[in-house]
Amino acid sequence: MTSWSLVINSFRFYARSHIGTLLGVAVGAMVLVGALLVGESVRSSLRYMAEARIGKVELALPSNDRLFRAELAAQLQDDLGVDTAALLQLPGVAKRPSGESRANNVIVMGADATFWKLARTQPEFAEIPEDSIVINERLAKQLNVEVGNFINLRVHNPSQLSRDAPMAPVEDSTASLAQMEILAIVSDAEFGRFSLQASQIPPYNAFVPLSQLQDAIEKPGMANLMLVGHATKPSEDPLGQAQAALARHWQLADTQAQLLQLPGDKGIELRSPRVFIDPPLAKAALAVDPNATEVLTYFVNKIQIGERSTPYSMASALADFEPGTVWLNQWAAEDLQAKVGDDVKLSYYTVGTMRQLEELTGQFKVGGIIAMDDPRSDITLMPDFPGMTDSENCADWDTGFPMDLDAIRDKDEDYWDTYKGTPKAYISLDTGQEIWSNRFGSLTSIRYAQNGPEALEALGKQLLSKLAPNDTGLTFQAARSKADASVNNAMDFGELFMYFSFFLIAAAVMLISLLFQFTMEKRTRETGTLLAVGIPAKRVRRMLLLEGGLIAIVGCIVGAFAGTFFAKALLNALSTNWKDAVASATLTYHSSGTALATGMSMGFFVALGTIWWALSKLRKQTARELLAGEPPQQIITKNTAKRLVIIGVALLLAALGWVGDALANGGQISPTAFFGAGAMLLLSGMTLASARLKHLAHVSVLTQAQSLSLGGLGQRNAARRSRRSMATIGMLACGSFMIASIGVFQKNAKTNADQPTSGTGGFELMGEASIALVHDMNNPTNREDFYGLEEEIMKDVSFVPFRLRDGDHANCLNLNLAQEPRLLGVRPKTLAGKFSFIDTMDGLEPGDNPWSILESARDTLKLPANVVPAIADESVMVYALSGNDIMNPKKLGDTIDHTDEHGNTFKIQFVGQIDDSIMQGNLIIPESDFIKLFPSESGYRVFLVDNPGERTQEVSDELNVALADHGFEWVSTTQRLGELNAVHNTYLQTFQVLGGLGLLIGSLGLGVVVLRNVQERKSELALLRAIGFEKSAIKRFVLFEYLDLLIGGLLIGTLAAALAVLPNMLSPTADVPYALLGATLGGVLLLAGAWTWIATNISLRSNLLEGFSGD
Amino acid sequence: MAEDNAVVLRLEAVQKQYESADRDPVPVLKGITLTVRHGDSIAIVGPSGSGKSTLLNILGSLDSPTRGSIQLDGQELAHLSEQELASIRNKKIGFIFQSHHLLPQCSVLENVLVPTLAETGKATTGAVERAKRLLDRVGLGHRLTHRPAQLSGGECQRAAVVRALINQPSLILADEPTGALDHSTATSLANLLVELNRDDRVTLIVVTHSVELASQMGATHQLQDGAFTSTDA
Repeated sequence: MTSWSLVINSFRFYARSHIGTLLGVAVGAMVLVGALLVGESVRSSLRYMAEARIGKVELALPSNDRLFRAELAAQLQDDLGVDTAALLQLPGVAKRPSGESRANNVIVMGADATFWKLARTQPEFAEIPEDSIVINERLAKQLNVEVGNFINLRVHNPSQLSRDAPMAPVEDSTASLAQMEILAIVSDAEFGRFSLQASQIPPYNAFVPLSQLQDAIEKPGMANLMLVGHATKPSEDPLGQAQAALARHWQLADTQAQLLQLPGDKGIELRSPRVFIDPPLAKAALAVDPNATEVLTYFVNKIQIGERSTPYSMASALADFEPGTVWLNQWAAEDLQAKVGDDVKLSYYTVGTMRQLEELTGQFKVGGIIAMDDPRSDITLMPDFPGMTDSENCADWDTGFPMDLDAIRDKDEDYWDTYKGTPKAYISLDTGQEIWSNRFGSLTSIRYAQNGPEALEALGKQLLSKLAPNDTGLTFQAARSKADASVNNAMDFGELFMYFSFFLIAAAVMLISLLFQFTMEKRTRETGTLLAVGIPAKRVRRMLLLEGGLIAIVGCIVGAFAGTFFAKALLNALSTNWKDAVASATLTYHSSGTALATGMSMGFFVALGTIWWALSKLRKQTARELLAGEPPQQIITKNTAKRLVIIGVALLLAALGWVGDALANGGQISPTAFFGAGAMLLLSGMTLASARLKHLAHVSVLTQAQSLSLGGLGQRNAARRSRRSMATIGMLACGSFMIASIGVFQKNAKTNADQPTSGTGGFELMGEASIALVHDMNNPTNREDFYGLEEEIMKDVSFVPFRLRDGDHANCLNLNLAQEPRLLGVRPKTLAGKFSFIDTMDGLEPGDNPWSILESARDTLKLPANVVPAIADESVMVYALSGNDIMNPKKLGDTIDHTDEHGNTFKIQFVGQIDDSIMQGNLIIPESDFIKLFPSESGYRVFLVDNPGERTQEVSDELNVALADHGFEWVSTTQRLGELNAVHNTYLQTFQVLGGLGLLIGSLGLGVVVLRNVQERKSELALLRAIGFEKSAIKRFVLFEYLDLLIGGLLIGTLAAALAVLPNMLSPTADVPYALLGATLGGVLLLAGAWTWIATNISLRSNLLEGFSGD
Repeated sequence: MAEDNAVVLRLEAVQKQYESADRDPVPVLKGITLTVRHGDSIAIVGPSGSGKSTLLNILGSLDSPTRGSIQLDGQELAHLSEQELASIRNKKIGFIFQSHHLLPQCSVLENVLVPTLAETGKATTGAVERAKRLLDRVGLGHRLTHRPAQLSGGECQRAAVVRALINQPSLILADEPTGALDHSTATSLANLLVELNRDDRVTLIVVTHSVELASQMGATHQLQDGAFTSTDA
């Protein structure tokens, strides 16, 4: 005989009594295990998706429009001893030749056999043959195609010369691949999901032969994405090693630079297919030889002296010339009849945002005339402007500027035939850089006074030695680490579902507490005996706790088993009714020993804690009381009830006063304040209910025999075990308050959608393109000329354009944690008055247009050069960028790291926060900073459209048709906001459903209380029967007594909730789910009523008169 | 074993009153003085509400006096902690209640052994042997593995007596030990108690309504309104 065997004996003997407690523990464990398994399943599903999209890739080098030699990948493969692959990855549009289906935002990838080796599972083909295409399952579904069908592709044609740059031609910025036969439809594991961006939604992927795509865009041998696979030997610094290997093998061709031997031994020239030499490259080139000649050649519209002018000419800026002077070549001087000292005007275009052209004029004096055979009159000074160099006639030039072809004279054509782009005017380098520099560079070539192949080779080596690959945008990224981080730090659905299941857990705790306590109450004499025979109270409690522990263990095992089913049910709901909460991601159930063990442990400790708490009441009872079977003595004075009444009334008056004052003054009080007032009313109701019970329990009522009634007796009964009664009222009141009030926080995207301050910003449409637009869409001529938009339809339509740096969507539609969020560059004035600001960083002056802080923050806050101000939606900062660290959300003033085009890390500082809007998922930064950080990102890819509401469909159709080749997806802003709100709304719905379930289980507690109370009062009821009461009357008496508690609890909670959400309910656009609320609360009322009725019937089923015989 | 005439229990002017929230304190015991010597058998009788059970609870350290002194084996109980009192109850006092309060989940033998768990949580072999011997002596040797539900009321009460004796206490307190039994069983139990007192010199204090049982005790104290009114030796 030991204490432990006594515990085991007790556990066995009271097993039936413990079933209720055990079920309560099982419910708690089931919920916890289920929630954790959901979390693990979501995480595992995301991990599977991440594995599928990354395959065996460890590192990636994306260079977007900066192309490098595909051969570089093979060189790195040999150097590093790991698999590598070079790809050409371009955005595009896919459609069936019949036109019956199309897909925008397709990622077209030119790949060879090396790419497929990096997939988790090798596809059946080794390489894609010419004119064949491989697509992923999502694209196949979208296009409704199968193997053997044909697809047409249109892809973005990356231009070395940014389309935002001066002299960028207006040539078609796309290339096409027609009649590509589908070779295979690859699964996720076969790299069908390949992507560097973290998202649970697979992209539309299309794979074509690398060489064919290179040919299509006329960039043979070039690539813009390199992948590096797992090393067989783990390396401490794979990123550093790859970057070092890159530095060993890269060549000038990878830097967008060329060194050319100029004809006639005029030296060696550094030039770039980007026309303007990147500043880092220029810096390195000058470091090689500080005496090198810097050249900036620009296109001028007119050289004018008085009334005479020469149209469309090249002008060069060189260090040899005096500022303020212009030297003309002989031809121009004759054309203009110029002589030294004449005033000359040079007119030229500068390119602003959205390719807005501004024609400026510079005033010079003729400083001299350069003979046509002077070495300075050099045909090679003109860089290779893509739209001009190869033109036969001036009239064929594509300068990207509007040209008056009538102004071109025959002599101008003759000049072009003879001298091509030989500059006609020369100015000083300083002046030239002052007026023609742009974000792409301030030089078009750099010349070295050396000649010959050896010098050429030596200069190439020296130049590369002064440069690092990341100076030219070649920077490896740790693709795998980022994928791991995006999954590991993603929103924890386990935690989320634990919050959602709060009431289920609370209900389970209440059941455990009530039922275990009841079991203990039945055993008070036994406990008293143990104390009486001298077993220390601590040991007695420990033995009972051990017994409780056994119940908890068995309950947790049962709960864990049920939890797996609960998790599957939740995942099923997330795939069907609640699919919006996970943005329709495909989630599969993953069992996890850790989740099971953690859930069971948590369930065990919750249960044990509750049991310990229930047992702690034993401390208050003496052995004598326990032996006598007396309940613990409660000292209730008159003042107890009075105090509670005073508190309750004060809370009630404060709540009513708060609301009344606001309504009387016609003022607005915030929904948060109303919620506070509602919560106060809830507390008031519960305090008054408690006061009533205390009053009924006080001896003073014993003096009111003259007012004795059966109903009054019923109320007094409820007061006898006031804690039980209050637990019932409290549970029902809090539950109904939360469920009823949370329901009205559903967001409706259509509410005030036409208001500029709403989540839509008052815009009607939102569009995102695969291929950027570079021209000003607010200019009717531009949109008609460049995009063929019908002005009749586009009348009164305005656009707000955004530059886009692709990245991870930082919104609730992305289950992964965004590692490098998407950036939108905007001119703040275009958003004046749009959306609602929650707050701006201290020290900033938002003024009339808070968006202006994007531009003023740099000076006001004295931001360092590597810090960029940003504005983001509240949910982006609080949730999307916090991931599983939800308790530590991003605040104003916080920064996150991002990487610029050159691979340099910069910081994004949050300076403003807007109310949730259609901009969720993006960080908005000033366009001026955007173009500095990402000079190669030309044009605009995201547009907000403001148009007369009644013409939205017409405008949308026109935009869809006219801009089809840019792969635009146009959606109404309310639809977009609705998709984003759906996540929030589904969360609330989930909370309501699980909360409702908790309340229903909580109502079961009421049934248990009835059973127990009636059991305790059997002798009283027997007395009623003995003195002539009908059995049915006694049943009614008991039933109404508990219905009082039920209705009281629900009423307190619902009334308080109604007050809390009054502003929402009164709002004409409110979207209160009355049906769901009514069903939930009605369900609770009915079910709890049914429990009470059943419990009453069970308790009173036997012969009541037996109650006289004792227990 | 203590010598005869040694004082086992001494009460000096013990008072007990119960507090009430809105009323004056209710006095239950009004200055009880009592000396109990080793081997004494004492009956405390009196009408309902006279304070008998309260006195017994105070004697057994289940309750504490409001005023006055109570010494068990010369040790003042008022100064002891709850843990020390539990130890006193375990080693020096044996309780017999009107209801046997046997643990329904345990066998007869286990019930008897329950008090031996207080020290180490484990019954010693010696304790088990003693329990069997005592149970055999009270006629329950054949019922060792039966549960209380399988015993008659008299058998349960005899098992409760053995439980009270298991730790060889210096004082047995019995609260209406025959109150729940029929006449014949009550007589049998009364005889057992008398026999234990006589043969084993166990000091016995019995609170009872039963004149028959009281008459078998060495002394009877009449309690009325919280005070002894007479003593019959």
